[in-house]
Amino acid sequence: MSPRTWVAHPSEELTAYLDRALDPPDAARVEAHLAGCDACRAEQARLAAVSRLLARAPVAPPPSPTFEARFHARLASERAGERRVWSGLLDRKSWRWLAPGLGAAAAAAAVVLFAGPGRSRPVDDAFVASHLDLFESYEAVASLDAVQSGEDVDVVTHLGELREGKP
Amino acid sequence: MAPDPDAALMVAFQRGDASAFRALFQKHGRSMIAFCHHFVRDAGRAEELAQDVFLKLHRSAARYAPTARFRTFLYRIASNHCLNELRRGEYGALRGGAAGGDGSPAAPTDPDALAGPAPTPEEHARGAALARALQELLLELPEKQRAAFVLARLEGLPYGEVAEVLETTVPAVKSLVHRATVAAAAALAPFLPEGA
Repeated sequence: MSPRTWVAHPSEELTAYLDRALDPPDAARVEAHLAGCDACRAEQARLAAVSRLLARAPVAPPPSPTFEARFHARLASERAGERRVWSGLLDRKSWRWLAPGLGAAAAAAAVVLFAGPGRSRPVDDAFVASHLDLFESYEAVASLDAVQSGEDVDVVTHLGELREGKP
Repeated sequence: MAPDPDAALMVAFQRGDASAFRALFQKHGRSMIAFCHHFVRDAGRAEELAQDVFLKLHRSAARYAPTARFRTFLYRIASNHCLNELRRGEYGALRGGAAGGDGSPAAPTDPDALAGPAPTPEEHARGAALARALQELLLELPEKQRAAFVLARLEGLPYGEVAEVLETTVPAVKSLVHRATVAAAAALAPFLPEGA
């Protein structure tokens, strides 16, 4: 099958052609067009030149000597914070009112947590709400030995729904 | 798909092997700084963002499925994080000026970071000027174009992988990369050979 030529200039295809990102039939069509179009050949040459220029453009400076050490310090700090939060959270007991029927009542609970007036435990609610992102991974929570009962498991497994406000 | 050794490290980390995570950090840390640097053009902030990316990777390890290529998973976290960072508007003030994160002029490019042999003073000056022009270009590109351009043109990812990272289609990537490359050709014209 002989490749079709382009009715219009294949402007958008030229970059993909240079990046070898076209299927063989499309690449053949571009080549056929280029053979008879001075304007597209000039544009292709310009795009190829800028691609070559960018390939030897300066890269980012090397990492600072403390980059890895600072990262591990941040990681250790974050994990210590998670442990403290979990320990405190599971010690509070009062938050366990969330557990019964949480799956079905998650949307209503979210309203209570995030917007509801007349909240009976504002401190604990705010505490839970502000740390939900830390608790959505059961594996992470379990690795902290913070899950001690079936009730804890139930809460943890539904926290993602609660955070997203899903019913 | 060829076996992905990084995916194996990630699975090992999921199973509790902390050394596997350290290996991933050591392997990809520098490239993540470079990637983030394309977005914020500030060395210190790029390091912070790269660290943020690995913290997110650490937190989201349980969600990683080994069917996905690790590099794609990592770049997706990094792209989303960098784009969110841009949306915060903190870098808007840098538009129109090749400035460092503190508003000072951009630091000269590290000669050791330039590709190829040690540059002459003229080449170094030209490299610094090109870095500034590229910086200005990147700051001007719309965010999706910038992400696609950085991933495809500067990081060398194939279009299919860019589409996976950005959670879009290959035709969309083709269009984004093309428009950004055309913009680059205009912005970097003084650096192109005569007649190009």
